[in-house]
Amino acid sequence: MNLLLTGLNHKTAPVELRERLSIPEDALPAITAEVLALPGVEEAMILSTCNRVELLLAHRERTPEPDLAAFLEERFQLSGSGVREHLYHHREAEAVRHLFRVACSLDSLVLGESQILGQVKAAYAAAKENGAVRTQLDRLLQDTFALAKRVRTETEIGAAPVNISSVAVDLARRIFGSLDGKRVLLLGAGKMSELAARHLVHHGANRIVVANRTLARAEALAAQFNGEAISFEAVYSLQDVPDILITSTGAPRPILTAAHVQQFLHRRRRKPMLLVDIAVPRDVEPEVNRLEGAFLYDIDDLQSVASANLTDRRRQAGLAEEIVAAEAARFEQKRRSLEIGPVISGMQQTVEALCEAELQRLAPRMQSMTDEQYAAVKMLTRGLMNKFLHLPKQALRSAAQTGDDAAVRAIQAAFDPSVLRTGPRGDLACPRSGVSMEDVKREKARGHNEEQGSTASAAPETASESTLSDEIPARRH
Amino acid sequence: MYLIWLRAAVFLYGLASVAAIPAVFGGKSTWKQLCLPAAVGGFVLQMVALVEMLTAAHHWIPTGVHEVQVALSLLVTLIFLFVWAAYRTFSFAVFALPLSLLLTIVPAISDQRYTFSSEHIRSGWIFAHVFLLLAAYAALFFSLLASILYQVEEHRLKNKRSPRLTEWLPPLDTMDRIAQSLLIAGFLCMTAGLLAGSLIAQERSGARYFADPKILMSFVTWLLYVLMIYVRRSTGFRGRRAVYLSSLIILAMISVYAANLVSSVHRFSLP
Repeated sequence: MNLLLTGLNHKTAPVELRERLSIPEDALPAITAEVLALPGVEEAMILSTCNRVELLLAHRERTPEPDLAAFLEERFQLSGSGVREHLYHHREAEAVRHLFRVACSLDSLVLGESQILGQVKAAYAAAKENGAVRTQLDRLLQDTFALAKRVRTETEIGAAPVNISSVAVDLARRIFGSLDGKRVLLLGAGKMSELAARHLVHHGANRIVVANRTLARAEALAAQFNGEAISFEAVYSLQDVPDILITSTGAPRPILTAAHVQQFLHRRRRKPMLLVDIAVPRDVEPEVNRLEGAFLYDIDDLQSVASANLTDRRRQAGLAEEIVAAEAARFEQKRRSLEIGPVISGMQQTVEALCEAELQRLAPRMQSMTDEQYAAVKMLTRGLMNKFLHLPKQALRSAAQTGDDAAVRAIQAAFDPSVLRTGPRGDLACPRSGVSMEDVKREKARGHNEEQGSTASAAPETASESTLSDEIPARRH
Repeated sequence: MYLIWLRAAVFLYGLASVAAIPAVFGGKSTWKQLCLPAAVGGFVLQMVALVEMLTAAHHWIPTGVHEVQVALSLLVTLIFLFVWAAYRTFSFAVFALPLSLLLTIVPAISDQRYTFSSEHIRSGWIFAHVFLLLAAYAALFFSLLASILYQVEEHRLKNKRSPRLTEWLPPLDTMDRIAQSLLIAGFLCMTAGLLAGSLIAQERSGARYFADPKILMSFVTWLLYVLMIYVRRSTGFRGRRAVYLSSLIILAMISVYAANLVSSVHRFSLP
């Protein structure tokens, strides 16, 4: 079975093309079924997010590789769009490594973000539900999830936030622990403060108050969070002072002075208060940060925390890449070992068939043997067969593990049943030589007479087996 | 026999103290999984050792210096385990466990030299007196520690430094709650402990007992404690000022303990 991963992402394709290829969740089963219907495709999974569309396939060996570019062009009516130039194709070990990197968020737009793993899991679940993921991809995906978990545990790639809103949430959590029940005041109803508030609400803050010069806008924003809208002037006399204050007004000079915040803190009995000032020019006097219990962060502070965290993530990504590379190599080795399983059992079956044929051919000459003697001969044949097969099997395994495909093919060919043709009198022939067993035995007998009982040690394996059969004394009547 | 338990407890505390470092500073859960059972094991063995120690001495009140040290160490570990269970905060392990280890090492390796010389040591009230005051010491120690760590984290947040060095600390609010609740718990223990001691002293020795410098110092400490709680609650002091206030009480407590040397009625002496 071969692996093929074809797709495009934020690095290789513009958003215009990505959105044309984007596959909605409800359309996934149908499109996966279409991919499965392509010639030679055994298993398939489609990962479609806002930053990437990738098709992962397991297809039969010795069949032409499915033309996924053509499929995408036809399915999404992209002929002439130049989609082929934006596609990447990864095969075998490269496909495994790519999938690992994607799931570990090493290929994401925001390095280390955690969403992608959930998206890969969802894609897997959808494909599994439709029976598109079975043995090969199932094994690969299970290993992918285990690896992604390991990377999260062993590195700190996703530990620190790298966008301003998340940094604000992280700061709030460093101060308040849980944000459950925390009161948030939004000063100004701008986009940035809305985004920060959304993050805070997502993490548990549930009491939102919005103050804006235009009360209608404050009311509209407050309605989004089931919050309360107040007039701008009412902020200074608030008795129930919020725990977190986010300000982003367009005021030309600070609207909150140290004296204002001092009053807030007094009303809060000096309980800590986080002030996030994302306005430029700033809304809060810098002196506020000197007050005990007030923690003031402006846009530059947030950005410097975010970029310091991003530097940390890049450092951690190096460690993650090492883990991914090692795991990809290990997976590939495991896959090769599993792939030669059928080859080994094929070898075994071929040689067993040879033994059985020899025993049947010599059956008339062994009629005088007791059942015990016959069983002993059978056991001896089997034992020798296993001994002779041991070295080729070992060589096959080690060739598979080192990726020496030429050696694997050579050993496989040597035991291919189609190569073992039947001799002119209908008996099984030695591999490739075309010499029948009878010919070998005649040669052997001649050599035996000439050399006075010496055996031809350099004879092929099958010949050795025949010789052993010949040496069984005929049953006396 | 108690020495064996005590030494085993020292070993486990040592193990827990070492494991606490990577568990807290490196956030390694494997070390935490080693640290917590070792700490609990040390605690159990130490409790067995203390019971055997007291049984062998034919009294139930820690009257020897070593007995007091073991009891105090036991209470420190107990409070650490309580803080961990109630606030899911493991950071205190790096302070509490080495302290428990240090307090246990000497009793585990050497003979008891100093004992409390009072003739009234068999009373159950004395038992309450000693244990409640030791619990007050331990609680105040943790409260001070939480206030110091609060101050450290507050300083970092105000200066916008990378959290890397203090990442292991719990959030400010949690540290504040730990400091406040242990302060109250320590106060209640101290009040009850002093009350128990006063009742015994009044009954057996009369007013004479209350003229002793150590006893007087104990009441001064209690008054300072009341004052500190009042100031903290009325002003909402946290961080630096809370550290100063708690340090003051700790100093007063240490001086009470040190007053053993000058006290005529309440001291440890050679048997």
